[in-house]
Amino acid sequence: MIHNRLCSGLKVMLVVLVFSGLLEDAKGITLVEKLYINRDSMEMVTGDKLPYLVFNRSTNFEQQNAVLELAVGDTLDLWIINTDTATHGFQIKSIMGTSLSIPAGDSVHLVQEFSNEGVYIYHDPQQYPYNLYLGLGGMIYVKNHLHERFYWNMKEHASNWNTTLVNGGTVSLNNYKPDYFTINGNSHPDINADSTARIEGNVGDTLILCIANTGRGIHSIHFHGYHAEILYSSKHSHHVGRSKDTFPIYPMETLELRLVPDKPGEYPVHDHNLVAISANSIYPNGMFSTILIAP
Amino acid sequence: MKNIIILALLLSLCCCKEVRAQIVNQLLFSKTNGVYAMWDGTLVKTMGYSTTLSANIDLPSPTLVYNQGDSVKLTLWNKSQGAPHTIHLHGLDVDQQNDGVPQLSFTVHHDEKKDYHFVAPHAGTYIYHCHVVSTVHVQGGMYGMIIVRPTNGSTTQTWDNGYTYDQDMAWMMSEVDTTWHHDTIINHTHDTSQTTHTLPTNYTPQYFLVNGKSEQQLSGAGLAVNANVNEKIYLRLANIGYYGNRIVLPSALNTKIISSDGRPLPNLEQSDTVMLFPGERYGLLLEATGAITDSIQIEYFDLNTQAIQNTQNVPVQISGTVAVAELSNEQPSISCSVWPNPANTQVHLNVALLQSELLNGELLDINGRMVHQFSTFLAKGNTSLTLPITELGTGVYFLKLKTSAEQLVKKLIVEH
Repeated sequence: MIHNRLCSGLKVMLVVLVFSGLLEDAKGITLVEKLYINRDSMEMVTGDKLPYLVFNRSTNFEQQNAVLELAVGDTLDLWIINTDTATHGFQIKSIMGTSLSIPAGDSVHLVQEFSNEGVYIYHDPQQYPYNLYLGLGGMIYVKNHLHERFYWNMKEHASNWNTTLVNGGTVSLNNYKPDYFTINGNSHPDINADSTARIEGNVGDTLILCIANTGRGIHSIHFHGYHAEILYSSKHSHHVGRSKDTFPIYPMETLELRLVPDKPGEYPVHDHNLVAISANSIYPNGMFSTILIAP
Repeated sequence: MKNIIILALLLSLCCCKEVRAQIVNQLLFSKTNGVYAMWDGTLVKTMGYSTTLSANIDLPSPTLVYNQGDSVKLTLWNKSQGAPHTIHLHGLDVDQQNDGVPQLSFTVHHDEKKDYHFVAPHAGTYIYHCHVVSTVHVQGGMYGMIIVRPTNGSTTQTWDNGYTYDQDMAWMMSEVDTTWHHDTIINHTHDTSQTTHTLPTNYTPQYFLVNGKSEQQLSGAGLAVNANVNEKIYLRLANIGYYGNRIVLPSALNTKIISSDGRPLPNLEQSDTVMLFPGERYGLLLEATGAITDSIQIEYFDLNTQAIQNTQNVPVQISGTVAVAELSNEQPSISCSVWPNPANTQVHLNVALLQSELLNGELLDINGRMVHQFSTFLAKGNTSLTLPITELGTGVYFLKLKTSAEQLVKKLIVEH
């Protein structure tokens, strides 16, 4: 059942989304979060700047979308504040039946309980797919364990698209040739400086990697050194349980992988579409990171 | 008493040695002076590996075959006259020293000879390739397949205690963009003090390969599928290109997907379509119960637009007839025929179940998005179902039918 309530004093929309019957069984906590829709420029590894939009936890522009993390049974109490001059929207894929519209300078509020483990994409569905393309896509992780966790928001960028779209121009979806490839807004070597992305642990640890593909291309992630197990796939539920070293991820798909390293060392993990290991044709400044495992 | 037990253990180890792990020494040369003829006669410059210094560079490089548990010393002798090279043992999960990645492992410079040491892991299909400026060197041709057979070296069993088969085939898919094969790229300068390298600006391949062959070449060169009725074929697939592959098999081959990336799948999947992405491998079991003259279709699609750029067809010829006594006892728990296909307004499913049970169905679009879902309890035997498809746009869809034991995937084309 979905309840919508307009809170006129604050000029916000309060949307309470709970699945019928689940409220009775809720045992988790309520996580209060705010997401700000910010517009600025993303600085690429080459120094180039692309017009960009993101969901940040404050009005300070950061070029990676916030990761929201809850446990199964928790409730998310979320405000989304639009600091941009254009209307935007908000939706949680596979969770929210309808999207919320957020006029420029306005905000919306939603309350959502999460009853299933998994990785979910939140995004701006307005002007689809262009607001999403311009950066408005992040990740919610609903966990069911206490293991070490890492997060990858994979996205590629066609620099000519960003410029054209923010200037009101049109682009052809059939002529998409990205030239930058990022994980959490960074390319190699900067991905390893992001402690939420760089996989580190010890031999025998259980390490969890949550991946969301908020781009338009399919990526094929290859692990050196180890096979990992698919714990969750938003598109291919029958892939759960597979032990693999290479994992395709479709646009708007999410994956949860479990890695239990059996030996120490530093091993690459990268897109095996090897063109995606580049930035504006500079190798290896794309989707390339390393796993660091201590004895 | 203790000494007797130790002696017995040593004797048992010695007795088992012949059928278990062996020490394997191999030598590969890396070279950059290859000239490879495409199907239309176009010559492209390549780099690659060969087992002798004088051998031509082939696409792909020679397949390396081991038995599970083998202790391997693989020596790379770089005779490139230029850039350093390595061997990355893709999927073998070797240690860092032997992983073949510059800066993290060793590189092999011109005229150097260095050894990779590893133990062959779980029986399955793997890849080896150079990891120096890998985007250039892999496109240049520095790749090949690794096949690990079961511990006893069996050529009729997938892995220890796995499926049996009568013949196996291995296909490695890749592409060639001739602009990446210019002499200045294949024989690029290499400054070890530089950590970056400039690539060609676009990747738009003109040639789409299966084991280095395409078009009419696919009828020969050991690629075409030739078998007898009820013969089991283990088809190993690997993608080392930068495009995705969609493999569409004749439904009469009764394809079962049994493994991926050198590991058995936890649940066998019955499907006539397999998606294969860069770096992935799959193992399929094919077994036709009737004579077939058809082809296996291999589509190559751009990962950014998901638009199919090329399709190659490998001929399939299954000969002979089958006697009732020869029919396999391993009947699938579900089979289904779909008609018409292509369809316009509705599609009929004739579903056959080995036992009465709940059937879960999903219709997915080409991007894997679920566009329709249903569950229905069906009685043992044949049942006819009808799915309306007027709401669906023109395109390719996949119908996924799941029983408690198996999953079956059928390709459906909607045309309005």
